[in-house]
Amino acid sequence: MRRTSPILAVLLGAFLGAIALSVSTGPTAVSLRQVVDGLTANGWRGIPSDTGARVVLTLRLPRALLGALVGGALSSSGVAFQALLRNPLADPYILGVSGGAAVGALAAFLLLPGDSFLPLPLCAFLGAALAASGVFLMARHRRGVSRERLILMGVVVGAFLNALIMLMVAFSPPGKIPGALYWLMGDLGLGTLPRVGVLLPYVAVGTGILFLLSRGLDLLLLGDEPAFTSGLPVEKVKTAVYLTASLLAGSVVAVSGLIGFVGLIVPHGARVLVGSGHRRLLPVAFLLGGTFLILADVLARTASPSGELPVGAVTALSGAPFFLYLLRRNGGKP
Amino acid sequence: MSAALLSATGVRFRYREQEVLAGVDLEMGEGEMVILLGPNGVGKSTLLKIFSGLLPPHSGEVSLLGRPPASYGRREMARLLSVVGQDLPVDFPMAVEEYVALGRFPHQGFFGGSAAEDREQMERALVMTGLMELRRRGLGEISAGERQRAAVARAICQGARVMLLDEPTAFLDIYHRVAFYEILTRLKENCGISALVASHDLSLCAEYGERILLLSGGKVMASGKPEEVLTPENVWEAYGVAVTCDRNPATGAVRVTPLRSTT
Repeated sequence: MRRTSPILAVLLGAFLGAIALSVSTGPTAVSLRQVVDGLTANGWRGIPSDTGARVVLTLRLPRALLGALVGGALSSSGVAFQALLRNPLADPYILGVSGGAAVGALAAFLLLPGDSFLPLPLCAFLGAALAASGVFLMARHRRGVSRERLILMGVVVGAFLNALIMLMVAFSPPGKIPGALYWLMGDLGLGTLPRVGVLLPYVAVGTGILFLLSRGLDLLLLGDEPAFTSGLPVEKVKTAVYLTASLLAGSVVAVSGLIGFVGLIVPHGARVLVGSGHRRLLPVAFLLGGTFLILADVLARTASPSGELPVGAVTALSGAPFFLYLLRRNGGKP
Repeated sequence: MSAALLSATGVRFRYREQEVLAGVDLEMGEGEMVILLGPNGVGKSTLLKIFSGLLPPHSGEVSLLGRPPASYGRREMARLLSVVGQDLPVDFPMAVEEYVALGRFPHQGFFGGSAAEDREQMERALVMTGLMELRRRGLGEISAGERQRAAVARAICQGARVMLLDEPTAFLDIYHRVAFYEILTRLKENCGISALVASHDLSLCAEYGERILLLSGGKVMASGKPEEVLTPENVWEAYGVAVTCDRNPATGAVRVTPLRSTT
């Protein structure tokens, strides 16, 4: 067994450091003293009146926390999908979650009156849930759910939903499209405190369930038949893993749009550190994913003088070379 | 008399229209080592899958300690019966010892079992299969034969009363083939563990197997002691190969030697 505690300690340090960096990065400099003073002035109740403290507490800290939750949830979901499908190239969006969320979000934009952003996450979540359950139901046959059918159905449903997205874009009034598309590209700027509050229970429950299923995930890596004869109720565990991983991905998409690559590469990075045993892999992947996304967001906020970049673009831009590096390092095996 | 450990009565199975098993009977008691022989595609793996509960028979009855496999809870069944199948995983980084320790799953509660006991069983299995030196190597970094031994180690670690093994020596060199049958013999003699082994090693099976079942055409063509089953007539009928069957001068066991085709 590899030694995990030092790795976890270092990662936890990096995670907290990334949050600190994110909170202290911005156009106005705010000292820790200012924040503490602002809080104590109100007796730790309510939002402080000092502007600097307000910026940190209502904008930067929630944004960092949102990044942590989103990155951690996407990585955990990716770990689960890779074990479920026994495919190292699986990611949280592989089975139609992304297409479903996009169709839901676009539908909310196009069909609902007004410019309100509020129903959009809900519709994205519904779209993701519908697409994911549709793929799952179609992949079932007499003897349960096969991985090959899941992947095939995911790809087919994804292609169908992409066609729907193109149709919806083609038939919509020009002014309405950029907002939806920008939102879909993945963004943490929507990270106001209430959204963190909405996401937190989903992430807590989802990652908690996956952690409890970690031995089952280990066995799923062996394949269905060996897992079955080792004492695992394979179909039940597969269903639970599928629903949980989709719930995590769907709730994240609903809050922050489609942030790519985190769910694909972070699990690989985590496996390099601690191997495939899910008891260690899941917490490590969560911390690594959270750290990675917070740092990517800091980069997205500061890289361009003319405004913020979508964080999804940053994750993909930095993630792709990193993935290639991992591939080469391991002699072609991720 | 207590129920047989494993029994099959009139088991039939077909894949689509292709009938693979056409009425197979088998009974196996505690502490027996039974060898399943027969040509490729005769249904040895299918029969093992039916016993392990992976496939339901289309007709006939199968039982493990008097109950059908489907009536067991997954963990309960895994504590009674372990399986070494033909497919071995390599796609994910996993150390040999982690892989072997997965065999402890049916003995662990929701939050894990006794770590000391798990470790002890894992190390015992690694020692028996000669994998102690390789325990920290990745499954992808060892040879096919070593992976096969790791699969056997995982099944030993599972601590079941009966082991079903599907061509467990396919990738092994002659040293490890002999070692494998020695391990099964030791498990049988010291722990009373039974084994049903599907194999193509005619002579080694004759050396170690107490009872041999020769499958042909979806049925048990011959069953009994090695010298009763392994005759030139039976081997010709089952495999279509001409052989001579004599005795190993050192051990007295049947020795099957193929003859060169004269045509």
